[in-house]
Amino acid sequence: MINWLYIALQAIINGLLTGALYAIIGMGMALIFGVMRIVNFAHGAFLMMGMYATYVVFQATGISPYYQFPLAGALLFLVGYATYMGLLRPIRGQVDFMVILLTMGLALILVDGAQLVFGADYHQINIPLLSKNIHIGPQISINAPWLVAFAIAAVLACALYWVVTQTMFGRAARAIAQNPYAAPLMGINVNRVQAVSFGIGSAAAGIAGSLLLPVFYLFPEVGNQFKLKSFVMVVLGGMGSIQGAAIAGLVLGVVESLTSLYWGNEWALAVDFVLFILVLSLKPSGIFGSQRA
Amino acid sequence: MKNWQALVAAVFLFAALFVPLLVPTDYILQILFRVFLFAALGLAWNLVGGYAGQLSLGHAAYFGVGAYGLALFSKLGISPWISVFFGIVLAVICAAMIGTISFRLRGPYFALCTIAFAEVLRLVAKNLPNVTGGDVGAQVPALFTHSATRSFYWAGVLLTAFAFALTAWIERSRFGYYLMAIREDQDTALSVGVNAARCKLWALLISAAITGFGGALYASMFLFIVPDQVLAMDISTEIAIVAMLGGAGTLLGPLLGSVILESSAEIFKTVFKEAHLLIYGVLIVVVVLFMPEGVVGTLTSKLGRFKKAPLAPFAAPAPVAAQEETSRAALNE
Repeated sequence: MINWLYIALQAIINGLLTGALYAIIGMGMALIFGVMRIVNFAHGAFLMMGMYATYVVFQATGISPYYQFPLAGALLFLVGYATYMGLLRPIRGQVDFMVILLTMGLALILVDGAQLVFGADYHQINIPLLSKNIHIGPQISINAPWLVAFAIAAVLACALYWVVTQTMFGRAARAIAQNPYAAPLMGINVNRVQAVSFGIGSAAAGIAGSLLLPVFYLFPEVGNQFKLKSFVMVVLGGMGSIQGAAIAGLVLGVVESLTSLYWGNEWALAVDFVLFILVLSLKPSGIFGSQRA
Repeated sequence: MKNWQALVAAVFLFAALFVPLLVPTDYILQILFRVFLFAALGLAWNLVGGYAGQLSLGHAAYFGVGAYGLALFSKLGISPWISVFFGIVLAVICAAMIGTISFRLRGPYFALCTIAFAEVLRLVAKNLPNVTGGDVGAQVPALFTHSATRSFYWAGVLLTAFAFALTAWIERSRFGYYLMAIREDQDTALSVGVNAARCKLWALLISAAITGFGGALYASMFLFIVPDQVLAMDISTEIAIVAMLGGAGTLLGPLLGSVILESSAEIFKTVFKEAHLLIYGVLIVVVVLFMPEGVVGTLTSKLGRFKKAPLAPFAAPAPVAAQEETSRAALNE
């Protein structure tokens, strides 16, 4: 029987669709880590903020998240920029320890703040696109919202890659990543570039949240699992490598999907972490990266 | 620790032991139990996170293993206190495995790795319902049947006293100085012959043993545990925050941190309901921004006393780091 092949293929396709969203979350984190060596524990909370922002706008206007996601991106860019300027810049130069703690504290404030404002209930939105499926052949079907989200995520991922590799800003950001002491001597405004990088990284999380809203439940702690996954992606891709994180996102999506298929949904996250520990202990520079841990 | 300091500590210990005779309600005693429990956990974490400077964010692993050890071994028919012992042994074995792998990593990589291990344990506990009861939970035997709340309180006080005495001793021992040397500069410590890997691992094993016992006490107090409660990242963060809030790498820090955090959490629970973690977040941000050495660390350096106290941890300002970098570059040339 060829049936199992179709099932596996379907799982891989689903994995890639999820993976594209993971990829932009991971790229945002990788940008932040690469330029600032900051492990941002508030990344998941930023994603959650993007989701709630989109949810609020959707409830008020009824505009589909697939049109209004730039709004969440803009909001989170500002939040990220302000976070860097207000909270992270004053403690620059202190050990990673303090930065991790600070972003953890920020995440607690945002998550519990959301709980205060919106309550702990689960929310879901309904758009007409959700009921549409695209069939490829007799066996394989793709849920339309995932496909749209995939397309948007792919475009954004390419755009982010282009910004980092081709623009002056990207060059400055990479220079800081390479050597934070020499970069200012070359006339780079380190503070501004880092703040913008933090803003862009946060915006990526916010947009991912926006795109996830139609296909996911919304609740204050929704970001936690994505935060943990973004750590896995950043390590897998090589800390600070943006394209590495993007590939790692796709890999993670497929691995999770196949794990769910063969072992059950509840093991997917555990497999993520086992993969993470294996990579950290065997090849800490990441599968796709060249930097040393 | 000087003699008069030991005397003060002993007086406090006796005062703490007599508190149950004065406190009328079990409710307050339960809160005080929590304060002492987390003080002990903070002290245990402090050995690894404070003195050795290794930011462990996965102490829930040892906490949860201690808790589940008590639950599962006693299900096999072993008496509770021996199960506690087995649970501690299991926590130490876990620590040995986790430490061996994660201590090879530095900085954020280490922190992330400890999180990953704790999360794997949580997910395994969730997904093996035949062994652990899964999300339904596991029953835990009561360690104290006679006047339980008081007994738990006393156990908490004694555990804290033990962790405190141990820390006080380690702080003055060769081992303690090795740990602090590793924190200040691991490469230099290695170059003068400190076996960093072994020292860090020992610190973690001791820490895990105390944390495991704390987990067993906590579990037995509630009589019932689920993975999302005892193996959750919230426990890891709470333990780390207790120590860092009070002052990582100081003897009194975790005690003070636990008093501040647990009491404020209790007060704000009535105001914010489920969102009471908000106050944790605010406290963390305030401490990191304005008192990077924790409450105790900042006070002692402000007062300028306790000259023999360990160097303020984690407060290397940027210019120093920059100098280091350039001097290192100069050495390379």
